[in-house]
Amino acid sequence: MGLIRLVFFGFIALSVVYFLVSIYSRSVRREKLEDSWGKDNPDSNDDAAREAFVDRGITEYNASIRPKLILLVYVIPVIMVAVIHFLTTYN
Amino acid sequence: MRKIKIGLFVFVFLLVGSLLHYVLPQHDIVRITSTEVIRTDFTWLNRRFYAQADSGSAELGTRDLRLINTEKKNTFLFGFIPRDSSRVMVYRNEDTGWIWPPYFKFDSSDLQAQAAAEISVSGNEQWAVLTHYGWRNKYLSIYPNAIGVRAVDGPDVQVIPWFNIFFFVFLTAAFLFLRAMWRQFRERTIDPAIQDMGDSLEAAGDAMAEKRGRVRRWLDTWRN
Repeated sequence: MGLIRLVFFGFIALSVVYFLVSIYSRSVRREKLEDSWGKDNPDSNDDAAREAFVDRGITEYNASIRPKLILLVYVIPVIMVAVIHFLTTYN
Repeated sequence: MRKIKIGLFVFVFLLVGSLLHYVLPQHDIVRITSTEVIRTDFTWLNRRFYAQADSGSAELGTRDLRLINTEKKNTFLFGFIPRDSSRVMVYRNEDTGWIWPPYFKFDSSDLQAQAAAEISVSGNEQWAVLTHYGWRNKYLSIYPNAIGVRAVDGPDVQVIPWFNIFFFVFLTAAFLFLRAMWRQFRERTIDPAIQDMGDSLEAAGDAMAEKRGRVRRWLDTWRN
């Protein structure tokens, strides 16, 4: 029973962390893309081209391994629980 | 205002500090003198300082409690500075199970057997490092919970608190990350919204602009 409760609430808590980290990571990436556009085209007022550049970068980011690494948010706590349990019980 | 701020800060610091002091593992250098089982009737006052019944057992208002009686070396500063004196210390030995605090301890019976195997007799003293969390309080009848015990050659061992080192590194990293997230959110979401709000209010004339100034000033108080 305790295990079910831990898994249930742990999953909810880690999902919140997962979504927050995802949003943060994408936001940082978007800002970097905007900055690099601004650096390469310092006096451009072409908002559509800028938008297209940023959107392309975000699509690339979505396809890359980086957003998948955020899934480690679920993996690492499980490993930590296993390690702590092992150290307490078999050490 | 400043005094209230400082007071609040001290209060939160003490609260978080005592929580961590209660929950984080500490290592005591002890001589185990005996182990025993007592029946315990909990009250609302001390119930929260006990874990639950053995994993897999029913939870009742009354149950047996394993105790480990020891003589413990005194220390200063959370065990970092050893002293020459010692005193009596009693530990409870309970399963923490899957919940709180997250030690995932299920082997209370085994630990009790191990503690009994390392009982120290005078003339042939057996020292041990006992890992525990929690507090001893005589008025509430609460005991720190023993997590693990291992025999050592003598009382002069220096235990490096690896777990606590990792924990505080992690806590600092988590705090910095959270702060970075909040700053990003403010910079990318809140500030533009305020900008928009400001722009539309500006169009509404001086009276409104005055109000905007106030809103801005109020928001600025949140920045530092």
